[in-house]
Amino acid sequence: MRPLVPVSTATKVLLGVGFFVVFFAAWTAATLGGYVNRTFLADPLTMAVAGWRLLSVHGFARDIGVTIWRVFGGFALAAIVGVPLGIAMGAWKPIEAFFEPFISFARYLPASGFIPLLILWAGIGEAEKLLLIFIGSFFQLVLMVAVTVGSTRRDLVEAAYTLGARASGIVGRVLLPSSAPTIAETLRLVLGWAWTYVIVAELIGASSGIGHMITDSQALLDTGQIIFGIVVIGVIGLVSDYLFKTLNQRLFPWSLA
Amino acid sequence: MSRLVLDEVSRTFPGVRGGPPTRALEPTSLAVADNDFICLLGPSGCGKSTLLRIVAGLDRPTTGRVTLDGAPVTAPGADRGMVFQSYTLFPWLTVEQNIRFGLREQGLSTAEQTRIAAHYIARVGLEGFERHYPKMLSGGMQQRTALARALANDPKILLLDEPFGALDNQTRSLMQELLLGIWESDRKTVLFVTHDIDEAIFMANRVAVMTARPGRIKRELVIDLPQRASSRAHGPRQRTGPASGARRSGPPNGTSARPRSSTAGAPAAGAAVEAEVAGPSSNS
Repeated sequence: MRPLVPVSTATKVLLGVGFFVVFFAAWTAATLGGYVNRTFLADPLTMAVAGWRLLSVHGFARDIGVTIWRVFGGFALAAIVGVPLGIAMGAWKPIEAFFEPFISFARYLPASGFIPLLILWAGIGEAEKLLLIFIGSFFQLVLMVAVTVGSTRRDLVEAAYTLGARASGIVGRVLLPSSAPTIAETLRLVLGWAWTYVIVAELIGASSGIGHMITDSQALLDTGQIIFGIVVIGVIGLVSDYLFKTLNQRLFPWSLA
Repeated sequence: MSRLVLDEVSRTFPGVRGGPPTRALEPTSLAVADNDFICLLGPSGCGKSTLLRIVAGLDRPTTGRVTLDGAPVTAPGADRGMVFQSYTLFPWLTVEQNIRFGLREQGLSTAEQTRIAAHYIARVGLEGFERHYPKMLSGGMQQRTALARALANDPKILLLDEPFGALDNQTRSLMQELLLGIWESDRKTVLFVTHDIDEAIFMANRVAVMTARPGRIKRELVIDLPQRASSRAHGPRQRTGPASGARRSGPPNGTSARPRSSTAGAPAAGAAVEAEVAGPSSNS
């Protein structure tokens, strides 16, 4: 195989699906073949049955809906505050000098470590879940947006100046459009992180959601349900990632290679 | 009457990591008159791009001052249009939107923007490519768009920083003739930076030869090609004919005898420029 030679779409799909098949086959062989104790790892069939029972009997669809709303709620909050702040920091250096040291510090605070405090402040309701996702994604998002905007090609900025642009034109019609595709990619990445934080939030002090179902199943030692919950998160993540990617390609056709 | 006046302009860059500061440009004076086409000619590191950037307002002189129509230049502005050597079209805008950029910044109505953009798209021969994004264009077409974008603002002076430096020979010749045609028909004032002797003599009516270390203008030469004189009498159409004929009279794919063959019409001027560029600094 020669390096960096692209493959056709059909081959790409085939290979991508192929690994799922290999993974599934190995899992089936390990569990149904009796190599792994059923107490520790459910086989695919048991998982499917557990999943069906969850959806039809226990109203798991509602849990999925609650989790999705929490993810997008917390993510939207972080984006609404974080993207404008990041743009301001990237564009105006005094603003960056003011916020950057604190945000770099806050970025390393473990979001899950805030759970006890957040429960104390916001109770065990939705606000606590949204806040945890907000803390987990906001600081990372701000820094990445600031770096993106700050690294706008200087020659484009200079060209805009020689064409008569002033400060507002530079920010609104050069910095913003040139950073927009990368900011959209950053949002896609941060949405993935929001998914890991929502489950952490739901593992502690929640009465609904996919994470809550997983803790319940832990008490019952029902590995089938746990695995089904994890798979559902993976599928939702894959779908939302695909939608995000498609949207970005539609919005920014000029940035495609 | 001089439009652009550089008065003892110098530029010193601060030293890197405690090193001594670098004098990129010795105090330099230059006067550019209306409808002048002046080439700043010199090797890499002679400060010619620094000089152009100071005129554009993208860099500040350490000493001296620049005035355009009597007003001091302190910041970039739409009255000095610039074309860069690197491709600086806005990649998120189409060809037409790129050309409208400056007009929009000035607050012109959409109808006006459309009219002016269409005029310059036709002027540089980009009809049919209005909706293309820059990365769908060849290098020559991108520089045509950049030229149209700068011209659309109707600047008092056009600043070009080796605009054709990255283009192949055929495209460069076409672009040179396109620019000369625009200069002659639209009566533009042009300050053109190049390291190509051939290009400087072909394009300019005055060449300012610069030397490196120290960066300064060593000598100014008036280029008075006979073709140019006849073209002025007969208009821009005829100008490209004989000029390009003289220019291409050398061996078709030879790159060696370039300066001499191209300056066949004015051997004295060509030899003088060559002597200035190649010779020891004392023979002027």
